[in-house]
Amino acid sequence: MTESSTESFAVLGLFPSADALMEAIPKVRASSLGRLEAYTPYPVHGVDQALGQRRSPLGGMVFIMGVLGAVAALLFQWWVSAVDYPLVTGGKAPSSWQAFVPIMFEVMVLFATFTAGLGMLLLLNRLPFFGHPVLGSKAIRGITRDRFALAVEAEGEFDPAAARAALEAAGALEIEILPAHPREPAFTAEYIQRSAAGIFVACVVSGLLMYSMVKLMPALPPMSHMLEQPRLDPQKPSAFFKDGHGMQLPVAGTVARGFLPSGLAAPEDGARLVNPLPMTSAVLARGRTEYQIRCTVCHGALGDGVSTLTAAYGAKPANLLAPAVRADPDGVIYGTIVLGKNAMPSYAADLPEDARWAVVHYVRALQRAQNAKDEDLK
Amino acid sequence: MNPDSASLPLPEVLRAPSLTVGQVTPGSLDDQVLRFPALAPPRKWYVALAFTLTIMSIGLVLIGYTFYEGIGVWGNNSPVFWAFGIVNFVFWVGIGHAGTLISAILFLFRKRWRNAIARFAEAMTIFAVMCAGIFPLIHVGRPWLAFWLFPYPNQRGVWPNFRSPLVWDVFAVSTYFSVSLMFWYLGLLPDLASLRDRTDSKIRKPIYTILSLGWRGAADHWRHFEKAYLLLAGLATGLVLSVHSVVSFDFATSIVPGWHMTIFPPYFVVGAIFAGFAMVLMVLIVVRETMDLKNLITDFHLEVMNKVILGMSCLMGYSYAVEAFTAWYSMNTFIQHTFLNYVTGPYGWAGWLTMSCNVLLPQLLWFRKCRRSYPWMILVAMAVTVGMWFERFVIIVISLYNDYLPSAWHAYKPTMVDYGILLGSFGIFFTLVLLFARVLPVIATTEMKADLPGAQPRHGARHD
Repeated sequence: MTESSTESFAVLGLFPSADALMEAIPKVRASSLGRLEAYTPYPVHGVDQALGQRRSPLGGMVFIMGVLGAVAALLFQWWVSAVDYPLVTGGKAPSSWQAFVPIMFEVMVLFATFTAGLGMLLLLNRLPFFGHPVLGSKAIRGITRDRFALAVEAEGEFDPAAARAALEAAGALEIEILPAHPREPAFTAEYIQRSAAGIFVACVVSGLLMYSMVKLMPALPPMSHMLEQPRLDPQKPSAFFKDGHGMQLPVAGTVARGFLPSGLAAPEDGARLVNPLPMTSAVLARGRTEYQIRCTVCHGALGDGVSTLTAAYGAKPANLLAPAVRADPDGVIYGTIVLGKNAMPSYAADLPEDARWAVVHYVRALQRAQNAKDEDLK
Repeated sequence: MNPDSASLPLPEVLRAPSLTVGQVTPGSLDDQVLRFPALAPPRKWYVALAFTLTIMSIGLVLIGYTFYEGIGVWGNNSPVFWAFGIVNFVFWVGIGHAGTLISAILFLFRKRWRNAIARFAEAMTIFAVMCAGIFPLIHVGRPWLAFWLFPYPNQRGVWPNFRSPLVWDVFAVSTYFSVSLMFWYLGLLPDLASLRDRTDSKIRKPIYTILSLGWRGAADHWRHFEKAYLLLAGLATGLVLSVHSVVSFDFATSIVPGWHMTIFPPYFVVGAIFAGFAMVLMVLIVVRETMDLKNLITDFHLEVMNKVILGMSCLMGYSYAVEAFTAWYSMNTFIQHTFLNYVTGPYGWAGWLTMSCNVLLPQLLWFRKCRRSYPWMILVAMAVTVGMWFERFVIIVISLYNDYLPSAWHAYKPTMVDYGILLGSFGIFFTLVLLFARVLPVIATTEMKADLPGAQPRHGARHD
């Protein structure tokens, strides 16, 4: 603010009220000495029109960004929920847009808010800016309090004396000439040295902090009680039982469900037993499943004793379609499953009670299929 | 006072009430409101701060204890898995809503009386949402993994379930906090510039300089600023209605009897505004008395706020009635059982406490005397705060402890840790309120200046 400075940024006149300012603007504007700008403690209605400033474009910006936010949120949620990680929730379709509406709304508001706030500050108002000449003026104390300033800012050929006269004529109480902001080179050697030093210190501090965190944190495991809880692990010792085993054998004489001992000494003893299951399609389906798992490998898919094993196996599995087997009562086949025969082991441990009877039904069906009579076609 | 009123003689009842008492000029407003940051706080402020800090540290220690030991130290257990953690969350988010209502909705409705109380209410919104945010964070059990709530690409290849209201909640509350902060900061910006230009302090001047971003009050800036403020008010209006609606979806989209109701979103929003106004009223009474701001926050302001509380109270009564009606009309045994449980059974007292505090007691505010007398309005405001906390307790705990499966029924009993963390959240809130009252302008001076009599040009191009 030296009087000797030849370059001046603006001439600033202070007015005591909004009315005085509004009356002064047209008068000073008429003399067209430079760009006019008003500085006021609060928004004064009509100043922007009086100065010939255009309406703020913020509304359009916010609208566009809001729509963009909503669309981005919809697309993102759709992509996550229907494409990248489809997760059925409540039987809804993966792309059920209704459930995405709340987050669409929130993201729209978020985008719009940041556009309105930061767009206004950073983009339209070019803030933060601490080097503006008005901030260094004597008048700023009044401007942010209760004074109204009108500035004629230098534009092309600028005559500060004429601007001062025009403001005086318009009724300004105090007039101040603001010197142009002296531009200094931004990247001086000192600036670069100090920045480099600052970055170096920041790196060292954060590195040490990270190092100490990494070294210290394993000593303080947060809330690991779920890992350390007392519990019985399979195949591990435990002090809870007398024998020191974590897993206990069942009590002697325990019978598993579906595995009641049959009491048969030989397969033929089963002749007195009657198949308790009805021959329904469900039972046959189960019988087929069990047969294909346990029996097909030796007796063949048709029950004809053609093994799917190689000749190296050597044994001769029984042909279940043979007249002798067809003549056997259900109980004998059942007894053979339970006890085994010749090279065939017992399947009592693999097939529960009802599965054995289902297999018997299925074997009967196989026998019938390979010995079909004419009246079966009727 | 207003020069216009002389030329337009209106009958007394139709005249807009004066929003300030005595002679208030832009300069005197600054001197009155903006002097506090430069003053040394009185002894009673330190006493109050020591008290709130003590309560806050109790809460923080117990939160630390919860982190170390696990959620098992709380009373939550099957079937009441959501108890104090969610009750407190809903309570604090609700407290925040008054601030946004005052700053945004009343701004859109051009209610000029909001200017004097908007700043404080907005600050309380931010502090309340901060308190609210603590609870879901500590309720997840492993808060260091809380970032899993946000959708970010990760090596596990999983994403949050966007059909879950809990994920909506994460978005709603974090958006609400960001928007409230932005709204508050933008309003604060010109005031920070005023503070900057008032002080010569070597410490405060640089701080205010940076915070005010070099605001210089240019008309070129004001036109964008006013537009931004209006847009933010519009956005925040939609937001304030959406946030507590989304919070209510946490309940309403479930099938728990007593939660699965269509009345929930508006019911929650009304309750939030109700509780928030009560809290703002109580704090404002303390502020105007201790900071000598009775000429700016006048009896008229308190009376208007009491009227809002009364209106909200009636809406709360209506919501409770709709709940009862829904229970009866649904012909659903489970909902009827839950509703009966609200007023009978082991927690029946909580239901009656809720209804008497939220519906019956505020009816006192029909009387002008009660709307203008401190003892009555403080009584009502405290009752509303207690009642609204218990309302969330009733909704959450009573609905959960007896739901569909009688074999799963189990009573809920909070532990001392639960009570301590609730107390601690009040400590955090009031500590922040006390600090705010001393370092930043408690009244939006810029907005008040613009609405003082004679502030706007008589022959301006625009008039409101």
